[in-house]
Amino acid sequence: MMVPLASLATCFQGLRPAQLYTCSSDGIPNAAYLSHVEYVDAEHVALSFQFFNKSRRNIAENPHALVNMVDPDTGQGWSLRLEYVRSETTGPLFERMALRIETIASYCNLKGVFKLRASDIYRVVDVARIPEESGSPTAGVSQMTTTLDPVFTMKALHDLSARINRADSLETLVDSILAGIEESFGFTQSMILLPTEQEGVLVTIASRGYPEKGVGAEQRYGEGMAGAVAESRAPIRISGLMRGMLYAMAMYKASLNPDPQRDARRVPVPGLANPDSQLGVPLIVRGELVGVLVIESETPYRFHEEDKANIELLGSYLAIAIQNMQWQERSAASAPDTLAPAPVDVAVPLAQAVGQARAAVSHQVTYYASDECILLDGDYLIRGLPAKILWRLLNIRDKTGRDEFTNRELRLDKSLNLPEWKDNLESRLLLLRRRLDEKCPEIRLAPRSRGRFALEVQCLLTLNEQL
Amino acid sequence: MIDAQLASFLQEGLGLQVGTRDAALRPSGGRAVALTVDPDGRHIVVYIPEVAIGRLLPDLESNGHAAVSIGRPMDDRACQIKGTVVDIRQAEDHERAVITTQFTSYLGQLEMIGIPRAVASCWTNWPARAVRLKVTAIFEQSPGPSAGHPIA
Repeated sequence: MMVPLASLATCFQGLRPAQLYTCSSDGIPNAAYLSHVEYVDAEHVALSFQFFNKSRRNIAENPHALVNMVDPDTGQGWSLRLEYVRSETTGPLFERMALRIETIASYCNLKGVFKLRASDIYRVVDVARIPEESGSPTAGVSQMTTTLDPVFTMKALHDLSARINRADSLETLVDSILAGIEESFGFTQSMILLPTEQEGVLVTIASRGYPEKGVGAEQRYGEGMAGAVAESRAPIRISGLMRGMLYAMAMYKASLNPDPQRDARRVPVPGLANPDSQLGVPLIVRGELVGVLVIESETPYRFHEEDKANIELLGSYLAIAIQNMQWQERSAASAPDTLAPAPVDVAVPLAQAVGQARAAVSHQVTYYASDECILLDGDYLIRGLPAKILWRLLNIRDKTGRDEFTNRELRLDKSLNLPEWKDNLESRLLLLRRRLDEKCPEIRLAPRSRGRFALEVQCLLTLNEQL
Repeated sequence: MIDAQLASFLQEGLGLQVGTRDAALRPSGGRAVALTVDPDGRHIVVYIPEVAIGRLLPDLESNGHAAVSIGRPMDDRACQIKGTVVDIRQAEDHERAVITTQFTSYLGQLEMIGIPRAVASCWTNWPARAVRLKVTAIFEQSPGPSAGHPIA
């Protein structure tokens, strides 16, 4: 009886390059490295077809092939005897394989340079152990991670759920999610990105486990892990990302017609400098993308099948929790008791307030209206709607001395031009607050009550507007 | 013809895969643990672990065709040597040092791309057979559209 293909799931992660053996019709064997073998079903695997190389020409002449691959958990080698069946250029399998290639390519700033031509599907005729690559159950990389048993996993999900239910604001919710993922599952590096008001752009709203918080870092759809997840609206797991990037860079260097204008340096990836495992999950409610959760690790094969299944399951729950919190905050901010702005003691001159501040600190805030971007002392602070809001608040404070505001008045402020439906104002304010905490702690958005906040300025400010 | 520069690359301790085929043109393949280039640059010796040779020996003895893929994991530089069998013999004790050196170097390469040495700790490299091949062609095999072009 043949070893079940599904039992070799860990071999299909592409952690170590597989080998493909073929033979031409005139009897010359060929041995080649292969970046990835994809599990299709109990009887089939798929190999990526990216170039018209010798292996591909051989398969056109002679359908027999052999693939050797290694289980990264145990070191055991497995040999799959294959027969070519067909090639697919559309459909879920092709999309899945193409997405993996595109995600890796985007990390090298090489998106579009090479792409998947087809998914070649093979029937698996036989599966055999490779005797010279005998494994050890204690050898693998997974031994460096904590193995989760089902009972523990259920407890972890329960604990995380309880933690999320205790959150009373979007800010505490996103922090609770990331803290809970670390404490319950042991995943120490993670981030949540939300869609911005700009079409096709995500922004980092919370992160955990990185030296730099990266709040406010943007990622376009289709770029990097989060962007690829947002574009495809599908979960993506990549193990051996570094290996994949090396392979992509090798392909680029070998390209016959490289684009001299293209900069092949890696784009800075928000998060780990050298992530080797990444898992991205779209947070979707009733077809709407609410956000993207990205978890990463420097361990090559960190996210196992059960991890992927658990986080995917969790994703649906998190999406509902985030959307509910956004609605709840919006609803509360529009409640009658928050309609009127808080009493403002205009008798307190601004100069006096500043006098109480750390007068030794001063900042120059420059707003570029055409780019909707704010620079603080010449350095980038924030852009888009959060920038417009901050500029508006600073100007009101400068002109009137008022420093308490409500979400409702921002919604009614025509100069901000917020959409009537789904403006995501609360998440924009959270982003602005965190960005200020990180880059300019002398300016704070301090919550007063639901839907009400204060602009606390502990420094001297010079405001400039540029068109 | 393998020049000194290429010989140096081939013998630095890389990933080595040997492909063969049977009479029905069904391919077989296995891992080799070391490779040496003869001074004439026209022959190579590939060391295949004894436990692997059983799958490849019938093909090597019956038709003599072999393809050896050589790859460096860190940058995916790779080439492929086509050859025909000249002789097959047991590797001798004095050759074990070469095998150990090259295999250890290969494990170091794997470590550099994030694969712990422990994963390959049970892989067998001794005893081994020495398969001497006459080189018939050498091809570029680094990933990309130029893969498959003759390089020597």
